[in-house]
Amino acid sequence: MAEEPQPPQSTKAPPTLLPEKTSAEDRKAAAALSSLDARGEDDDAPAGKKEVDTEALGKAMRGWMSRRTGEERGGKEEGCGQVEQLELSKAKATELLKAHEGDAVKAMCAFVTASA
Amino acid sequence: MPQPLPSKENSLFKQVVKNYEAKQYKKGLKSAEQILRKVPNHGDTQAMKALILNAQGNSTEAFELAKVALKNDVKSHVCWHVYGLLYRTAKNYEEAIKAYKFALKLDPDSAQISRDLAQLQIQMRDYAGFVQTRMAILKSRPHVRQNWTAMAVAHHLNGEFEAAERILTTYEDTLKSPPPKSDIEHSEAILYKNTIIAESGNIEKALSHLEAVMKNSLDRTAVMEMRARYLLLLDRKEEAQKAYRALLDRNNEYRSYYEGLEKAMGLDRSDDDSIPKLTELYESYAAKSERVDAARRVPLDFLQGESFKTAADRYLRSMLSKGIPSTFANVKALYKDSAKRAAIEELVNGYASERLTNGSAENHDGDRSANRFDEAVLYFLAQHYNYHLSRDLSKALDFIDKALEMNPKAVEYGMTKARIWKHYGNPAKASEIMNQARTWDERDRAINSKCAKYQLRNNENDNALKTMSKFTKNETVKEALGDLHDLQCMWYLTEDGEAYLRQGKFGLALKRFHAIYDIFDIWQEDQFDFHSFSLRKGQIRAYVDMIRWEDHLREHPYYSRAAISAVKAYIMLHDKPHLAHKSLTNGFTDMDSMDANERKKAMKKAKREQEKQEKAEAERRDAEKKAATKKPATGADGEPKKEDMDPQGTKLAQTKEPLQDAGKFLSYLLEFSPNNIEAQNVGFEVFMRKNKYLLALKCLLAASSIDPENPTLHEQTIRFRRTLDKLSEPLPPPVAKVIDFSFTLIPSSISLSDYNDSFLARHSESTPHIQAGLKVRQLLDPSSQPRNEKDLLATLELDTTELQDAKDGLSLFGEWKSGQDVREAYINGARKRWPEATVFAGA
Repeated sequence: MAEEPQPPQSTKAPPTLLPEKTSAEDRKAAAALSSLDARGEDDDAPAGKKEVDTEALGKAMRGWMSRRTGEERGGKEEGCGQVEQLELSKAKATELLKAHEGDAVKAMCAFVTASA
Repeated sequence: MPQPLPSKENSLFKQVVKNYEAKQYKKGLKSAEQILRKVPNHGDTQAMKALILNAQGNSTEAFELAKVALKNDVKSHVCWHVYGLLYRTAKNYEEAIKAYKFALKLDPDSAQISRDLAQLQIQMRDYAGFVQTRMAILKSRPHVRQNWTAMAVAHHLNGEFEAAERILTTYEDTLKSPPPKSDIEHSEAILYKNTIIAESGNIEKALSHLEAVMKNSLDRTAVMEMRARYLLLLDRKEEAQKAYRALLDRNNEYRSYYEGLEKAMGLDRSDDDSIPKLTELYESYAAKSERVDAARRVPLDFLQGESFKTAADRYLRSMLSKGIPSTFANVKALYKDSAKRAAIEELVNGYASERLTNGSAENHDGDRSANRFDEAVLYFLAQHYNYHLSRDLSKALDFIDKALEMNPKAVEYGMTKARIWKHYGNPAKASEIMNQARTWDERDRAINSKCAKYQLRNNENDNALKTMSKFTKNETVKEALGDLHDLQCMWYLTEDGEAYLRQGKFGLALKRFHAIYDIFDIWQEDQFDFHSFSLRKGQIRAYVDMIRWEDHLREHPYYSRAAISAVKAYIMLHDKPHLAHKSLTNGFTDMDSMDANERKKAMKKAKREQEKQEKAEAERRDAEKKAATKKPATGADGEPKKEDMDPQGTKLAQTKEPLQDAGKFLSYLLEFSPNNIEAQNVGFEVFMRKNKYLLALKCLLAASSIDPENPTLHEQTIRFRRTLDKLSEPLPPPVAKVIDFSFTLIPSSISLSDYNDSFLARHSESTPHIQAGLKVRQLLDPSSQPRNEKDLLATLELDTTELQDAKDGLSLFGEWKSGQDVREAYINGARKRWPEATVFAGA
């Protein structure tokens, strides 16, 4: 629903602030709530049923985690005035411009002739 | 963070949650209100209340309350989770993802929130985000195999083959003892890993892995197919041959096995030296079984000349003597080759005359097999002469009548007869015959549907619905029509819409096209359930196939057909807004002859009339509602259905922004069917009207790469040039530059009229091209009209002119506002050439 903008709080909510200890009841309620639309994904596969080797798994986890390196790409926004002629979303327009060193004419030419 | 509640309220809160789960919304609402009386600003309770309201269908109210809840308790993950759930049911997945992310930050350990988030991310194809979330889930619950598999899927879809493979191997290595053979999840995970290895391009490794695991795999067929394919790719032909032969022993009708075997044997259908070996190969398979069709039919594809004739004779005789009705359908693909077409025609005509000469000699009564053969031959010939590549409708009619003499109530003969009349251009008679044939077997659903289709082609929307209703439940609100929507009966909705469009009933036409659009949305939506279901069932290969299929969903011809029609309708509505008003559309043209003032008055009058009608309609609905039983209307799934406030589509047709609305259909159309030239043609028309010249140009260039000689493209190219030359304001310099660079379809050295003349000269034998050329000539020089009319009239003499071309020609006279005498001359000419067609009969 496009007419439902994100409430202003959303930007203010401090992402690092985790809830401190809540009452046990609350936790349960939350857990219950969380399971509201649960589709029982892993309830069907209770631990132990398949003889999970916890120790081996733990080792595997450690090995796997050390291999992973956090990689995150951040998208830069660039101006893209003329490209709006093409009815593209801002993200796509930026992408297009980037691919052509920010040269609007080049980018638009490439776009227009893409299928030819 | 959630605010603590007094203990009484707290247990009430738990009750609310339970009530919601059990769909006891009224009870839940009551308890929630009870809590709120005591603790008015309790965010979690408000959130729960919002969730219940939403489930009851009060989405606006729910959103408002959820916002209040958030204001009261911005650090509650419950509130954020609910907010996400609301967005999810509203199908605003991007906002839902944001809300889930906040909820997750507040409660990082919640498995449910992470899982919901992961589902949304894969639904939105946010592969990078999906990888991250699945990673978090795996870290928190590594003991569940599903989480490892899902992690692999995430890497795989994100293009990280090695990481995906590694994840699966890592998990496998932790297994103490090999799982039992019956463990389907394990078997599927192993095969899934194998497909990842193959997709990464390392076929050698894929093969050795497959050979190591194949004896424990439960999907035997898949393993054998994969192995055969790998062997072929690795050029290990001997083994590949064996593998494909083993597959053919399991299924000797599967064409792609034969193709694999041919390749493995190094045979090439286009190479003359291969033909004897190919023949031998197929004969050996034909000899193995009396019943196998593929081994007998495939050789007809590659055999030529005399050997084709011999093989075709054998094939046709055996099929026809068994009286197999689909014989023609089995061989018509060969008709692209005119020599084969002629050979088949000669053969089957030969059978027919055999019958005549032998008829008296072996006149045993009750010789059923001979009768069966004769009948099948007649039916085959009727279809042959009805087929567009070998059409001779009077012969077709003759043969089908003879077949009907032998077997007067054969449904498929009736269908063919109706089809012949359709090709004659007489939809009324076609519909009538089809309906008659339908009565010969009222339990035959196939002909029932065909009958409805033919009724729609004849613009009998009501009759068609009645016909369809014989096979629908008719229990939903809108009865048969509602059922057909629930059943997603797209062919019907499309034909219904096109029939309305032909009658100028734009509202209803658009209504149907929007229904098609919505069905594709539903299909996209439907994958949601499988993000968890497939994992749970361990069917990962099928799941990945489905994800990929969904990505190409709107390539489906049903989509492009409805979308093109919808866009055309919107273009018409943009050009002539009065078409949206039913009372003004009689005859389509009378508005054109009015002056501006009269037109305005007529529009006003139409609007008043419509308001009156709407009021009457609303009253009727109210009365109906009162009369109906108290039971709320429900759909097939038992869920309450919202009442359609605009069943006639009036609001759709009276849009203020038809081009904007067309864009909805157009963007998917151009994205998924860029090689559909009609899509590019209608795209151009929309963009020109929106003054988006670059996009219009893109359509021109795309169309030109599909077919540089396309008639519509020719006309549009010239219009594009002329529009640019006549702009009142110059284009922004970069846009002008792009056009200068890219618009090279018309050489600058040549004048438009010379360009058009050479087009006309190039295509003097093709009516659609001539029509396009004449249209352009008229545009460039209105004084050329008499000449254009004369040339258009002459196209009726061309052998290649089809009935549809003649119809298009007639509407061209309308566009030019030609005089009555020219039109009459044209109509008389057309009537002479197509005496059975109804379009010219009453015109």
